[in-house]
Amino acid sequence: MSKQQSKGFTKEEELLLQDFSRNVSTKSSALFYGNALIVSAVPIWLFWRIHMMDIYTSLILFVTVTGISTYLLAIAYRNTKFTLKHKIAVKREEAVTKELLKKWSDDKKMSKKEKDERILWQKNEVADFEATTYSIFYNNALFLGIVIVASFYFLRSFAPAINYTLSIGIASGLLVLISTGTH
Amino acid sequence: MLKKLLVVLTVLTVGLGVEEKSGESQGARLLVSKQILNRYLVEGKDIEVRYSIHNIGKAPAINVQLTDNGFNSDAFEIVGGHTSSSFARIPPESNFSHVVVVRPNKYGYFNFTRSEVVYRISDTPNAKTRKAYSSEPGEGGIVAFRDFDKKFSAHYWDWLAFALMTSPSLVIPLALWYKSKSTYEKLNKPAKKH
Repeated sequence: MSKQQSKGFTKEEELLLQDFSRNVSTKSSALFYGNALIVSAVPIWLFWRIHMMDIYTSLILFVTVTGISTYLLAIAYRNTKFTLKHKIAVKREEAVTKELLKKWSDDKKMSKKEKDERILWQKNEVADFEATTYSIFYNNALFLGIVIVASFYFLRSFAPAINYTLSIGIASGLLVLISTGTH
Repeated sequence: MLKKLLVVLTVLTVGLGVEEKSGESQGARLLVSKQILNRYLVEGKDIEVRYSIHNIGKAPAINVQLTDNGFNSDAFEIVGGHTSSSFARIPPESNFSHVVVVRPNKYGYFNFTRSEVVYRISDTPNAKTRKAYSSEPGEGGIVAFRDFDKKFSAHYWDWLAFALMTSPSLVIPLALWYKSKSTYEKLNKPAKKH
């Protein structure tokens, strides 16, 4: 046992660790930040066209708030993804196993261990993909919904600059809160 | 406030008392009102101004010249009608209306002043010329177009553009998730379908 520990983790253990890790890959992180930036910046349109904020005089505010919101949204994406990934992995296990075993039905050379590893890896990939896409969709929808309701209902009588800051701030803050509160 | 001002109808006839003494009270007598018909005065939007001329005298008013110098070309563009016009004859006990459409170029407070009417008090060749002034609508606030638009426009195009901008960030992840979900759910339950 001690020998195995000194050698480090086995491939299977590494996969398991990856499965349970909160860290996301660079690709995933770029996807999260890119999405968060787009969704955080789009409400500027509403504040420019409908709340009649001047785009040039409010540029610093827009950039600052968008930056903060992008960061918070990316955290929310990551947290939601982490929560969802395990639930999805459990749900997909059977289907992924079936799919791969069917695929390998003629392949007699592959050892059971290798098959198990590949199943685990595939399950992890599927769960990761579904959790990422769903997390982005869920957080985007919630963010835009909160921004619209806050800015056009609760904060409509406020000055546009305050309305903008508060509605975006509340929406992104709430998302982080919701995403951390669910696990 | 503007409505209140619009309701005010003032009648001004110059030298009325003198004429009555000299027995010319039987001549034409015009009452002129100047009204702003719009509820909201908005920069770049048409404003309708109506001049109503009532002849309450016993004789027709001849060669009536209506002039309004209140809309200077810096602040207003005349888009319909003329600010000075003439009517050959306004019979006694009758009305005459004249409408001018102007478009303000600027926003802010503007003082809508009186207009001027000059006419001959009867159709006799030596009839006197009389000058009358209309009522004054008074000061009216012209709202900036952006403020008006913010308050009253439905912004359909802006909302449509917003929907188009946000839809990829919602539809693409949802579609990808749904595709994967349905693929694996189908794999999971093939037996139940039959």
